[in-house]
Amino acid sequence: MVFHPTRLAALAVACIVSDACAAAETPQKLSFINDVAPVLTKASCNTGACHAKAGNGQNGFRLSLFGFEPEEDFEHIVKEDRGRRLFPAAPEHSLLLRKATNSLPHGGGLKISPDSEDYRVLLEWVRQGAPYGDAATPKVTRLEVLPANQTLRMHAEQQLRVLAHFSDGSQKDVTRHANYEPNDKNLAEVDEAGLVRTSDIPGNAAIMIRYQGKVATFSTSIPLGAAVEKTPSPSNFVDELVFANLRRLGIPPSPVCDDSTFLRRVSIDIAGHQPTMEEARAFLADKSPDKRAKLVDSLLSSPGYADYFANKWAAILRNKRLDKGTPASFAFHSWLRDGLLANKPYDVLIRELLAATGEAVSNPPVAWYNQVKTPEQQLEDVAQLFLGVRMNCAQCHHHPFERWSQNDYYALSAFFSQIGRRPTPIAGQSVIFHKRGIALGENKKTKAQVKPAGLGGPELEIPPDDDPRLRLADWMSDKANPFFAKSLVNRYWKHFFNRGLIEPEDDIRDTNPPSNPELLDALARHFKDSNYDLKAVVRTITTSAAYQLDAMPNAVNAADRQNFSHFYPKRLNAEVLLDAVDQLTGSATDFADLPAGTRAIALPDNSYNKSSYFLTVFGRPEGDSVCECERVQSSSLSQSLHLMNAPEVKAKLSKAGGRAAALAKASDDNASIAEIYAAALSRTPRESELKTALEFLGRPRSDAKGVQLDPAKTRTAAYEDLLWALINTKEFLYNH
Amino acid sequence: MFAGNHSPQFSPCPGPLGRRSFMRLGLAGFASLSLPGILRARAHAAAAAGIAKPAANRTAVIMVWQPGGCSHVDTYDPKPDIGSEYRGPFKTIATKVPGTRITELLPLQARIADKFTILRSMNQKAAGHPAGSMQLLSGDPDTRDKPKPRLPDWMSIASYFRSKQGGRDNPLPNYIGVNPVIEYNGPVYVGAAYAPFSVSGDPNLPNFEVPNIGLSDPAEASRIGGRVALRKSLDTMERAFDTLGELGALDQFEAQAVTLLTNPQTRDAFDLSKEDPKVRDRYGRNRWGQQLLLARRLAEAGVEILTSSLSGPLCGRVSNWDDHAVNHNIFDALRFRAGAYDQAVSALIEDIYARGLDKRVLVVVTGEFGRTPKIEFSPSTGAGDGSAPAGTTQPGRDHWPRAFSNIWAGGGIQTGGVIGATDKRGEDVVERACGPDDFLATIYHHLGIDSAKEAIQDFNGRPTLIVQNGRPIPELIGRT
Repeated sequence: MVFHPTRLAALAVACIVSDACAAAETPQKLSFINDVAPVLTKASCNTGACHAKAGNGQNGFRLSLFGFEPEEDFEHIVKEDRGRRLFPAAPEHSLLLRKATNSLPHGGGLKISPDSEDYRVLLEWVRQGAPYGDAATPKVTRLEVLPANQTLRMHAEQQLRVLAHFSDGSQKDVTRHANYEPNDKNLAEVDEAGLVRTSDIPGNAAIMIRYQGKVATFSTSIPLGAAVEKTPSPSNFVDELVFANLRRLGIPPSPVCDDSTFLRRVSIDIAGHQPTMEEARAFLADKSPDKRAKLVDSLLSSPGYADYFANKWAAILRNKRLDKGTPASFAFHSWLRDGLLANKPYDVLIRELLAATGEAVSNPPVAWYNQVKTPEQQLEDVAQLFLGVRMNCAQCHHHPFERWSQNDYYALSAFFSQIGRRPTPIAGQSVIFHKRGIALGENKKTKAQVKPAGLGGPELEIPPDDDPRLRLADWMSDKANPFFAKSLVNRYWKHFFNRGLIEPEDDIRDTNPPSNPELLDALARHFKDSNYDLKAVVRTITTSAAYQLDAMPNAVNAADRQNFSHFYPKRLNAEVLLDAVDQLTGSATDFADLPAGTRAIALPDNSYNKSSYFLTVFGRPEGDSVCECERVQSSSLSQSLHLMNAPEVKAKLSKAGGRAAALAKASDDNASIAEIYAAALSRTPRESELKTALEFLGRPRSDAKGVQLDPAKTRTAAYEDLLWALINTKEFLYNH
Repeated sequence: MFAGNHSPQFSPCPGPLGRRSFMRLGLAGFASLSLPGILRARAHAAAAAGIAKPAANRTAVIMVWQPGGCSHVDTYDPKPDIGSEYRGPFKTIATKVPGTRITELLPLQARIADKFTILRSMNQKAAGHPAGSMQLLSGDPDTRDKPKPRLPDWMSIASYFRSKQGGRDNPLPNYIGVNPVIEYNGPVYVGAAYAPFSVSGDPNLPNFEVPNIGLSDPAEASRIGGRVALRKSLDTMERAFDTLGELGALDQFEAQAVTLLTNPQTRDAFDLSKEDPKVRDRYGRNRWGQQLLLARRLAEAGVEILTSSLSGPLCGRVSNWDDHAVNHNIFDALRFRAGAYDQAVSALIEDIYARGLDKRVLVVVTGEFGRTPKIEFSPSTGAGDGSAPAGTTQPGRDHWPRAFSNIWAGGGIQTGGVIGATDKRGEDVVERACGPDDFLATIYHHLGIDSAKEAIQDFNGRPTLIVQNGRPIPELIGRT
C-alpha cells in the first residue's frame, strides 16, 4: 500500500471539523516516522526535561531529543523492555497510550487527550502493528512556512501555515504538529497552533519552526510607523543601512550627541578609559570640524586600545593564571596586546593562535592549548569564538535549531586530532606539536571515522605531514567563509552598541536572523575587503553617525531596543569603573607584582580578581567561558553596598593628596566643581548642578551630638561626599 | 539557543527562564514585566514600614554544614556490633524515638529525636572535598575534583528563583551565609548577584559586628543619607535609562543598601543581644551556637536561604571535620567538638519548633560525605586539639561518599525516626538509597521550586535542569 500524506492531512483536517468521522474513515497506512514521531514531538515527550533527559531518559523510557533519532525512538517504544510499551492484542491498553493520556499515573500528566486526533493516530498505528515505515515511506525533505516574510502592525496577529515537502514530491500541511519558537518574545509571541502575536515594540523578529528535524523561519518586521522626517547626515555605509532600516520601520532616530558625550563614550569604548579633565577640556576647545574622526584615530593608536581589547579577548580566550612562577598568562596577554596594537590582521592573529606549536614561554598562543585541552573543547571554543556558531549541543545530539549534526561536530574535531602534547617542567604547561598522521575524528555515537571538514565545507584529505589546524585556518579565513567575518563584526558591533545585530552575538544560525541583515553583510564585506583590519572595523563603527546618536530617546523611539534609533547605555565594566573611580578620586589601586599605576584594564589575567573585591563584585570574568556573557553587567545589592560603605572606596575618596583633599584646599569652589565635572563626565556643570553642589559644600555640618563643626575642617569631607555622589550617578556608572 | 525563555511548545514544563531574563524582560520595557519597578515600589513600602513578619508561605531553609565530612558511624549511624577494626569507642544511646539509637556523643539530640529525621542512606560518588561538595550541593555528577564548580549550588539557584518570583517585602538580603558555605561552590552561571551575603566573624564575641549592616555611628549613617540625597539631585540622566528598566533595579539596590546600612531594624536582625540570654545559653555561648542562633534569628526576620558552616577552632586542630589520622585522632576530635555541636544543633531544632517556625523553616544538617567505616592508623602530623603530637600513630577515618547520614527537621516534614539503612559495617546503603539529586529535590520542594521542570540557561545558553534525576524524598515530604 502506498502512503499518501496529502490524503491523511485531508483526513486530519476533516476530523478537526467533525470528531464523529474518526471511525467512519478507512484507515490509511501509518508509519512511525511520519505519523507517530511528530505527535510525540508536538506533545513534548522528547524534551530535555522529560524523556529526552540526558542519561537514561525519564524513569527508564528514553527518547531522542526533539525526535532527531527516530530509529532509536522506535526501538525504545516498540522493542525495548520486551515490548511492554505496546499491547498489540488490545492497543488501547498500550502503556504508551495509557501514560500519555494519564490514565496510568504519569509524571508528565496528560499529554495527549483520549478524544484527540493525535490519540486516534497513535491507536491506529498500534492496531496496524506499529510499523516504522519502509523504503517506500517518503521522507520530509524541506519545510515551508507561509508566509515566509510579513510586515505586521503592533498588537497584530498572523496565522502561519507550515507545509512539509516529501521525497515523493507530495506535501502535507503540518501546521498543527510543527513546533514554534520566537527569537525575541518581547516583539512577537507564537502559540502552539502557529498563531503569531506582536507586542507594542517595533523591530524585526523571527519565528523558528521545526518539524521532523527540518527547520524554517518566519520573519516579520513590525514598524512603529512614525514619520521619519530627517536622519543625521550619513558618514558611511553603516549610517545608510541603519537609517534605511529606521525609515522602513518608521522609527525616527535621536539626534547626534554633543561633544562631551561623544568624547566619553568613544574613549571608554575604544580605550577603556574615561577622559581626564585635561583631555576633556582640550577636546571641547578644539574647533576643527573633523575632530571626532581625529579622536577616533588617536584612540586607535593609543596603548589604551590595545589594553582594552586585549582584556576583552583574554577573557574569552580563557587566559587564566595557572602557575605562580613564570606566568604564561602574561606572555599570552602581551602577545594579544602587541598584535592588536600593531593591528595584525585578524586572520593572521587567529592563524597564529590556532596553529600554535612549542612552549608558551617562547610562543605565547600555546597558552590557549594549555587551557583548552581536548579536541572537543577546542572545536567548540573555536566555533563559538571565531565562527559565532555554538556547536556544543551537537556533541551529543543533533543541534536542535540548526542543521549541524554529530558528524559535523566530529568533522570539525578532526582538525584537532593530530595535536601532540608533551609535558614541561612547569606544571600545567605542555609543549604542543603536530603529530604526524591522518586527521580523523570519531563520531562518539556511531563510532564512524569522520574526515575533517569545516561547517558546511567539503571533506578534506590532509596529508599526514600537514598540520590540519592550518587547513582549518585556511577554511576560516577564506573570503567565501560565511561565518568568520560576520562573527567578528557582529561581536564588535555589540561591543559598541550594547546589542549585536545577531543576539546573542555568538549564536549565528539560519533560525536566528540578524535585525538588520544588509548591515551585517555590508560590515562583513567591508571587513574582508580590508583584509581583516580590526582597527578599520572600529573606525567604521565609531565614526558613523549611528554610533554617535544621543542616548536620550525622542518622543516616539523609546520602545526601540534593537534598531539603534538611540544609543543604548551600558554600565561601565568592572575594570573601567575601577580605573574611572581611581582617576576621579586621584588614587590608584595596587596590583601584586605589577608596576605602580597599572590600570585595571591592563591586567594580564584573572588572578587579580581574588585580591580585588571591586573587580569581583562588578563582574570581571574569570576566563571560565568562551562566552562574553560570563561578564556580569547587572546591578546587585553587593555592588551598591560596596560603593556605599567599603573601606576600599572610602580610602579612595579620602586619599591623602587625592582630589577631594586638594580641592578642599583650593579657594574657588566654582572652579573645583567644574574640575570634578570635567574629570567625571567630560562636561561643564549645568547651572542647577553648580547651585546644588555649592549649596551642599556651604552647608553647615555638625557632629553626632549636634555640635556645629568648623567648616574649614569639614570641607574635605564635603568634597568626598560630592565625589561619591557623582560616582553614583547613572551618568557616571554608565557609558551613554 | 534562544536568548529568552523556552517556549511552552518546546517544553512541557512551564517556566525555565533564561538566567538573566530578569534583566532582559526589564530591558524590554514591558510595563507588565517591569520587575525592577515593582521591587522598587516594594522596597519603598518596606523601608517605610520596617521589617514585616514573613508570610507563612515564604518558606525558608537553613543548611548546617559539616565541612570535611562527618563520620556517620560515630554519630547518627552507629554499628556497635562490628569488629574492632571498624568500631569506634562510642557507646550507643536510646533516643526519644523507640528503636532509634545514636551515639553517646549526641545526648541532647537523642532527647529531641522526635523532632528530626535521620536519613542514613545518603550517598554520592565523589571522594574529594571539591567534587563531593559539588555533587551534593549542585548535583554535578562529575567525580573529579575541579577548582571551580560547573553547576550553580542550590542556594544561589533558590536565591535566583525567589528573586524572580518577587513579592518579598524585606530589606534583608534573601541569601545569607553565617560563616557561609562557599569554599567549593558558587552561583556560576546564575550570576554573582545571587551569591550569599556573607557574615563572617564570631557572633559569640562581644564586639561582633556585621560589616555593611546598621552603622553604629549615627554620623556615618546621616552622612550616607546626605550623599544619597545629593546623588539624587545630581542624577539628571534618568529618562535615558528609564527606557531600559535598569534604573529601577539600581535604585532598588541602592535603597536596599541604604536600609541595610542605616535602618536600626536591619541591624536588629543581626543583633544577638536582643535575644533572651537564656536562649543564647541554650544554643551554647560559643561560635557555633551563636552562628545557628543568628541563622534562626535571620530566618525569623524573613531571610529565606541560610547556610552556616561549622568550622574553625571548635573542630579541633585542622578547623574542619576532615578526620584523617594525619589530621586528628578522630575519636578525640569528635569528642572535642561533640559538645558544642550537639548543643547548637539540638537548640536550633528545638527552637524552630518552639517558635512555630517548624512549618516554614526546613533545617538540614550534613557534610559532603561520611567517613571510612574501617579505621586507619597513621602518624599524626602535629599536636593540637583532637590530635596527638607529630609522629604519634593515631586512628582516623578517610573520605566515604558511598554512605553517610544527614538529619532533617522542621519544614513540615515527617520527623521522628530513620530513613534508609547501611550494611552491617556502614559501608554501603542497603535500603532506600538517596543521592544528591534527591537531596536537592527535597530542598527545592520545600521552597516551592519544581525541580523536575525548572531549568536555567548555562553560559552556552543550554537549558540545564536544576535537578537531573532526583525527586523529593517521599518519606520526608510525607508523600509516596
